[in-house]
Amino acid sequence: MSSGPIIEVKDLVRKFGNRTVLNGISFTVEKGDTMIIMGGSGCGKSTLLRHIIGSLTPTSGSIKIFGKETTTMSPKEMEALRLRFGMNFQFGALLQSLTVGENVALPLIENSKVDPEIIDLVVKMKLELVGLTGFENLKPAEISGGMRKRVGLARAVALDPELLFSDEPTSGLDPIMTAVIDQLTLDLTRKLDMTAVVVTHDMTSAFRIGTKMIVLGAGKRAGTIIASGTPDDVRNSPDPEVQQFIKGEPDGPVPLKLAPEDYIDRLLGHERSKGKAY
Amino acid sequence: MAGLSQFFSLNAQILYWIFVAPLRGKPGVRPFAVFHQMVRIGVQAVPMVALTSLSIGVTLAMQGAHELARMGATSFVPDLLAISLLRELAPLLTGVVVIGRSGSAITAELGTMKVSEEIEALEVMSINPIRFLVAPRFLALVIMMPCLVVFSNYVGFVGGWLICQFALDMNALSYILRLVDSASGMDFFSGMIKSFVFGWLIAVISCQKGLNVTGGAEGVGQSTTNSVVLSILVMLVVDALLTACFFFIESPTT
Repeated sequence: MSSGPIIEVKDLVRKFGNRTVLNGISFTVEKGDTMIIMGGSGCGKSTLLRHIIGSLTPTSGSIKIFGKETTTMSPKEMEALRLRFGMNFQFGALLQSLTVGENVALPLIENSKVDPEIIDLVVKMKLELVGLTGFENLKPAEISGGMRKRVGLARAVALDPELLFSDEPTSGLDPIMTAVIDQLTLDLTRKLDMTAVVVTHDMTSAFRIGTKMIVLGAGKRAGTIIASGTPDDVRNSPDPEVQQFIKGEPDGPVPLKLAPEDYIDRLLGHERSKGKAY
Repeated sequence: MAGLSQFFSLNAQILYWIFVAPLRGKPGVRPFAVFHQMVRIGVQAVPMVALTSLSIGVTLAMQGAHELARMGATSFVPDLLAISLLRELAPLLTGVVVIGRSGSAITAELGTMKVSEEIEALEVMSINPIRFLVAPRFLALVIMMPCLVVFSNYVGFVGGWLICQFALDMNALSYILRLVDSASGMDFFSGMIKSFVFGWLIAVISCQKGLNVTGGAEGVGQSTTNSVVLSILVMLVVDALLTACFFFIESPTT
């Protein structure tokens, strides 16, 4: 295996229609890193993650995972590559027709030839990790959103992947559970040498687990990286937008309101009122 | 046009996962999933198919008897029933029932999975959604449609018998003999071929519409409606084409 970076993203651009969501993103993730992707809601964090896992194809740019270019990869190669990483979706994305236990067992049943008894054991172990022992036989609809998320994480690590992607793993969890999930991510990356890419806008969590960070901008700088480096680099970034984001201030470079003189115009403006009936 | 090429590519992928993938040592379609779908699509449709078939058998016998009585030929009612049920009405009505019950359910189910990222999650776990979700539904429909049509034939004949026995003074034995006498093997097989083709089309159309859903709950509803409408349309057109094929194959002059 090559000793280069695990993930290498270069000049990634993605346009939806004429809206540029990602505009020249470049970063690398080394083995054992926990890369945090931060940024305001709707700035393209999840879109960036979707490109890295190969669900979306970029307009231009290159993405290399384990040294292999994924943007031009055949579906077959992609399938093999995907066995080496786990993805924890924002809302869990559990199969509603299966129980919690079956959901966690799914990657094992489908992608390995393991004995059912061992699968059972692994499922219990993984659920124990996320603090959901005894919930195996419930359906995803019968547990809370935060629990679903944790089942999603258990499923993502079921095959002990080398690389873990997590889309807002702690949003909607209580502070204690957030700490548990953070501790779990730390354990996996520090002890098992797993590499992780975590999308979050929870600052406490980000600085607790991150070894590297990138911050995506908003407004005029949407879709570009406005700060990157170690957590300390980002914390000490001179960029006022980054500071506003870290400190969670309502007003700053990202304005709370647009200019007040336009307010009446925007309220009474006709271009919007012709839209939908409600 | 894009829809049509997608339709054929979906067909190819389904056939690949059913027939080619197991030979290449890849995981094939799970039998349990197929049985599960067969129960949902086939077994649970039995009461509804029974009711529609019984009604159409009774109706057909009454309508036929009414017309044939004017020529004093009510003894030909079983002939009428045999031809129209075996060749046409049983496959068509079963098709409509299956579209309404299962086709719509498949589209709604796959569509909901699509909008709630479940399909994407499967892909990211290297589980091919065609193999895991589409192929079992396809197999179940292709297997259960002909079974349901055989059942529908029988129930339809029972409906016809009710009229013949109690309104036309024809006893059960002569009804059955007349039926067996008038129905040919081709009548039965053309119905079977139709039901197989209908099952195939319903499966692929419903799955394609489901996998294409975008735009949340509204999108799921829209696609489900489209799927039902398109399935019925395609079924009727293909029915006409197949009937034309059979018509020329067994051309009436010989």
